Amino acid sequence: MTWSMNLSRLRGNARLYAKLQLIQLRTVVEYRADFWIGILGASLMHGAGLVFIVALFGQIDELGGWSAWEVAVLYGLTLIPAGLRELFADGPWLLRSLVNSGEFDRLLVRPVSPAMQVATRLASIHGVGQLSLGLTLLILGTTRSGMDWTLWKAIFLLVSVLSSLGLLIAIGFLVNMIGFWEPSAQSAIPTAYAMLIDFAKFPLDIYSNVIKVLVTVVAPYAFISYFPALVLLDKETPWRWLGFASPLVTLLAVLLTSWLWRKALNRYQGVGH
Amino acid sequence: MTTLFNILITFIWVFILYALWDAAFSETGAIAGYSWDEMRTYILLAYGINALVGWRVASQMMGTIRTGEITRELTRPLNYRSTQLAAAAGMSVVEGLISLVLILVLGTLLFDVQPPDSPVAAALFAVALLAGFVIKALCIFLISLLCFWTLNSVGLMWAQQAVISVLSGTLIPLAMMPGALRVVAEVLPLRGIVSTPLQIYLGKAQGWDLAGLLALQFGWLAVLWFFSDWAWRKAFNAVEIQGG
Repeated sequence: MTWSMNLSRLRGNARLYAKLQLIQLRTVVEYRADFWIGILGASLMHGAGLVFIVALFGQIDELGGWSAWEVAVLYGLTLIPAGLRELFADGPWLLRSLVNSGEFDRLLVRPVSPAMQVATRLASIHGVGQLSLGLTLLILGTTRSGMDWTLWKAIFLLVSVLSSLGLLIAIGFLVNMIGFWEPSAQSAIPTAYAMLIDFAKFPLDIYSNVIKVLVTVVAPYAFISYFPALVLLDKETPWRWLGFASPLVTLLAVLLTSWLWRKALNRYQGVGH
Repeated sequence: MTTLFNILITFIWVFILYALWDAAFSETGAIAGYSWDEMRTYILLAYGINALVGWRVASQMMGTIRTGEITRELTRPLNYRSTQLAAAAGMSVVEGLISLVLILVLGTLLFDVQPPDSPVAAALFAVALLAGFVIKALCIFLISLLCFWTLNSVGLMWAQQAVISVLSGTLIPLAMMPGALRVVAEVLPLRGIVSTPLQIYLGKAQGWDLAGLLALQFGWLAVLWFFSDWAWRKAFNAVEIQGG
């Protein structure tokens, strides 16, 4: 295959992706009350965490060497990619019920890649709340903590947010693919794994070694917030260089996910066989 | 198994809070009148208590209305609010036992939890805990009535969990809240779910303070008890059933 052919296929896929997600977002806005309740619920959920931080820093000045505004940066770096993922690729969370009910059959006979169909199966508009809260915190946090903005830091920020988004989408697929092996659609393991992201909202320095290993190796959420923040805020620690490793971690996660995805598709037999 | 996991998920925040307060207390001896020993106990017990009347109870209550299954409930010659409350109590036995075991295991192995302040405190703690349980179930019942108007029960669930976790004092003790929020939390009934029982447990409320706390809690309990029944009848008359 030549480069131009690859490129035009990629463009076609991107256009299709945008179209499918737009339809999903429209269906949500169709029901006004439901739409607002969703936004309200999500905002309150993330607002609760914020209330906690405000209260905490009302009592103390510093947390493990991090100021309130520096923690706000961590919070923002966590919320932004999480909000983007909810907005543009919440579909994998329906994967288990698709496989469980056998509806996944239908995806396989359509002339579009099943992975894309799964990713565009759901777009959660309430991601907007998380995204805007995250942006606010990041902007406030970086300006108030006296961070020096340079061009390369802006580029670094953009790259690390995009790679965080990639990592979260890969994890979304990865944890929900358990449905291909473990038929119970009720399993709470995916939710638990996804919730470990909350650890990334605070500096790693305060955790015990078990938790440090957990969020660096087992569920690498530290590569979304903590390690990039070390670079952005010029923190002097021996682990600072790991901030540059974020795209590499994402690449590994994507490779692992696509390898397992192919195994899963080969394994899938439909229901009732 | 699923229930166990759902409770474990909420305990992720117990570990986060433990680490946060551990770091905070390494600099000072006491924060807003709490020592590190008391704070540890507070964190673990607060989450254990708030795990009662969890996700399952709320989704059950909302689901009954959302799916239209409520029509079947109405054919029974029983008070709807009371039957829902009884069902919540039944489900909470399982959740309660699991979180009790978790608290005992974590409490002895990791958290080094303090015993109740005195035998009297222990007894009153149990009373306040029970009242708090009914208050929480009634509040969730009231929220579930909104399902007559919306299908987005997940949004309601999030909103409900967030508000309760802050205003009940689960996330942070009332004494440490910033001014205005603290006033609101101290007046509302939600403090009766976690904060009031734990203040009694830790011996933070004595004498008249304690009597006042209990009076407020039981006052709200009575108000919610009658209000929920009234609101239920109003809501039922106002709207139609899904699919009918």
